[in-house]
Amino acid sequence: MQTFLDLLSVLILISAFILTATKRINSYIKAFQLQSFLLFLATFTLGIYNFTTKGFLDIFILSIIIFVLKVIYIPRLLHNTYNRVAYKVEKDFFINIPSSILICAALVILTYYSLYSLDGALNIHIKFNLVNSLSVVLIGLFFMISRKKAIGQIVGFLVLENGMFTTAMLSAQGMPIIVDLGILVDLLTAVMIMGMLVFKINESFDSINIERLRNLRG
Amino acid sequence: MNDYFNLILVIYIVAAFFSLIFSKKHQLTNLIANILSATASLSLLILTALHLIVSTSSVELLRITTSVPNISLVLKIDNLSAFFLLCLAILSMSVSIFSIGYMKHYFYRINIGLFNCLYNIFILSMILVITSSNLISFLVCWEIMSLISYALVVYEHDQPENSKAGLIYIIMTHLGTAFLIIAFMLIYVNTGSMEIASAGQLLSPYLKNILFFLFLIGFGVKAGIIPLHVWLPYAHPAALSNISALMSGIMIKTAIYGLIRFILVVLGASTVWWGVVILVLGAISAVLGIAYALIENNYKRLLAYSSIENIGIILIGLGLSFIAFANQQMTIASISLLASLFHLFNHTLFKGALFLGAGAIHYATHTKNLEDLGGLMKRMPYTGLLLLFASLAISALPPFNGFLSEWLTFQSLFQILTASNQGLKILALLIVAALAMAGAMAAACFIKFIGIAFLGLPRSESAQNCREVPIPMLAGIGLLALPCLLFGLFPQIILRLIDRITQEYFAVSISSGLKGISLITNNPLIINESGISLLSATIIGIIFFIVFYTIIRFIGRNTKERIFETWDCGFGGLNSRMQYTATGFSKPLRIVFRFLYRPKRLLWYNKEGPSPYYHSDLNYVVTTEPVFEKYFYHPLAHSLKRWARKSRFYIQTGSVHIYLLYIFLALIALLIYNWVCLTIC
Repeated sequence: MQTFLDLLSVLILISAFILTATKRINSYIKAFQLQSFLLFLATFTLGIYNFTTKGFLDIFILSIIIFVLKVIYIPRLLHNTYNRVAYKVEKDFFINIPSSILICAALVILTYYSLYSLDGALNIHIKFNLVNSLSVVLIGLFFMISRKKAIGQIVGFLVLENGMFTTAMLSAQGMPIIVDLGILVDLLTAVMIMGMLVFKINESFDSINIERLRNLRG
Repeated sequence: MNDYFNLILVIYIVAAFFSLIFSKKHQLTNLIANILSATASLSLLILTALHLIVSTSSVELLRITTSVPNISLVLKIDNLSAFFLLCLAILSMSVSIFSIGYMKHYFYRINIGLFNCLYNIFILSMILVITSSNLISFLVCWEIMSLISYALVVYEHDQPENSKAGLIYIIMTHLGTAFLIIAFMLIYVNTGSMEIASAGQLLSPYLKNILFFLFLIGFGVKAGIIPLHVWLPYAHPAALSNISALMSGIMIKTAIYGLIRFILVVLGASTVWWGVVILVLGAISAVLGIAYALIENNYKRLLAYSSIENIGIILIGLGLSFIAFANQQMTIASISLLASLFHLFNHTLFKGALFLGAGAIHYATHTKNLEDLGGLMKRMPYTGLLLLFASLAISALPPFNGFLSEWLTFQSLFQILTASNQGLKILALLIVAALAMAGAMAAACFIKFIGIAFLGLPRSESAQNCREVPIPMLAGIGLLALPCLLFGLFPQIILRLIDRITQEYFAVSISSGLKGISLITNNPLIINESGISLLSATIIGIIFFIVFYTIIRFIGRNTKERIFETWDCGFGGLNSRMQYTATGFSKPLRIVFRFLYRPKRLLWYNKEGPSPYYHSDLNYVVTTEPVFEKYFYHPLAHSLKRWARKSRFYIQTGSVHIYLLYIFLALIALLIYNWVCLTIC
């Protein structure tokens, strides 16, 4: 099972790379959906494992919630948001895609060096998963920086959150369920509010290019 | 003794709350609160005097501890704090009595209840500052003292210049507190204790030098040492006179207390150049302070600048004491500290009296401008006489106490002169000259104050119609002004008390030089083998006066006396416009010290007269430049403001991506830090 989880964590990292390589907003959402699905698989596996060995249902329930929320509901919400704002295909990034991928690779290497030499009671799997999932956090943040459109920021934020969730899941067997649920509710509200803000930005600036927000500065 | 002290604290608190509760009834609350506070001060006076006479060790007065480590309020009284409490008690007692009358002026114009509440807490906070034996409680009380004095400075906030004065004051005082916080943290990190106790052995010399500068700047702002003095001439005129008296009389002295406590006791003043720095700053403050006082026409600003001069004189004594202590010359160290503390005590008396007197003048005439006064001696004879006493004392004229403390300062300077190497000799000579000049200028300054305000003809309607102030106000001034004469004639009373402090720190007593008050030994004060007795000098003077008066009367018994008006050159009646003005009086000094004042003159004619040489109406404006503000503080403030505005636009660009980038970079930096740490360790 551990090998399976390791594989999933690598796949989650790769899905983050796929996200950086996409150009269109539709593909962002699909990449996010893919990542969320992988995350669901990891949580599901852990949930089953925990249920069979220790008899806890927590993680299993959590995995169902993640499936409903992150794989189905939030991507639909994003699609709706995206469909409702007028969209012209135009260049959406500050840094071109090959350079972005190189930078993301550099981030992974940095995280590897920074965390792999950590001492303490960390076994090799936990270290490996920690590196992968923290890289996902950094890539998500980098994605937010490199995209101009507001939807890019939302997806980047979600990926960042996925990374954090993965960290908690794969290196510490999850947090207490009440904390996880709290974070998920938080996330949902954040996405809803951000979706509404995208409408507002679109209304006020005739574009969802958040560079225009610069005009608001006093 | 503990219970007695706690009772005093409770009385102040009761007075504060009482005035807050009954703030609607102005007369009642003012009377009761001030009587309570005067009683508490009187008890404090007795307590501290008893402590100085009887006890030798420090006594713990109050201990409130909390479960949090180092957060506790522990009050201790030792000789040094007892002496400062004594000064505080005398001053606050007189000021409270003065306020009973003085605040009538402000009834139903300002909130008297809140004012008296703040006033009592202000006194209380100063007591706590002086008795705190813990760095944190010292800092907290110090900050309470600063904030409450700020609130009292801006109490008449409807006048825009008061809020400006308050702003300058609070910025400067917080600057000082910042330095103090750094110093206290350094002490804590290096000694591991929050007690205010000798830590000289635990600190490295390098660290001690840093701490010295931190303390010097931190306390220097409060004391008003010259480059840090800018708040003083603004804050004192803005505050009500009883508050100015407290601020100038004792609050700026808490900084001197801090310097003695922290540099002499905690750091152990082991380096000669520390004393030299304090000495030079003191001399500069003394000369420049009084130089600026001379050209002021607002009499409260004049007194504020004169406070800077006196702080300078106190610092000269303190610096000498530190130098001698570092050189292991204990006798000189003890005499210098004695001179310094004696001058501090005297300054509390006469500057308190002068500020209260200024309050009385303002009460009677409603103006703070010297040019509008004149002829008050006839209309307010008692105030005039008491202020004359205080002015003579501050001008260091015998037989008043100011003369004695400056004489002692000179004596310690002469001793340093004979007992040290070349460099210090030259310095001491220069300081002697500076001190002499400051003394002369102080005399000129107070001749101007008394001469313009009290002599001659009234220069305005309000000065014409003013009346003598009520009895409580006179009593308040008198309680401060008359002791100036008393301690001038019998300095032994107070010198014996100060001797306890110098004995504790330097193990040298000068009590053999204090011969008691008997008239037979004509030298009641012998220092450096030269003695002085103002008492015998005064008695001789009085005898001479009586003898000459009788002789003159006897010789002139046959001459006829004719009383007639002063000759007015045929102009047809003298009027007040013919007198010397305050501006005119200081004109020679403005010319001599052009480089310092940088005076500017503006003259324009409003109306053509009968000939081009004779204009019937003209305006003349003379201004002087505040050098430190113009060439140091203003450029500093402007460049800070410009830099802040610019950097705000660089950092806060308005782009969401840049903000995200900051977070991203911080994360990367932390990861790299982790990596570097792991590879190194």
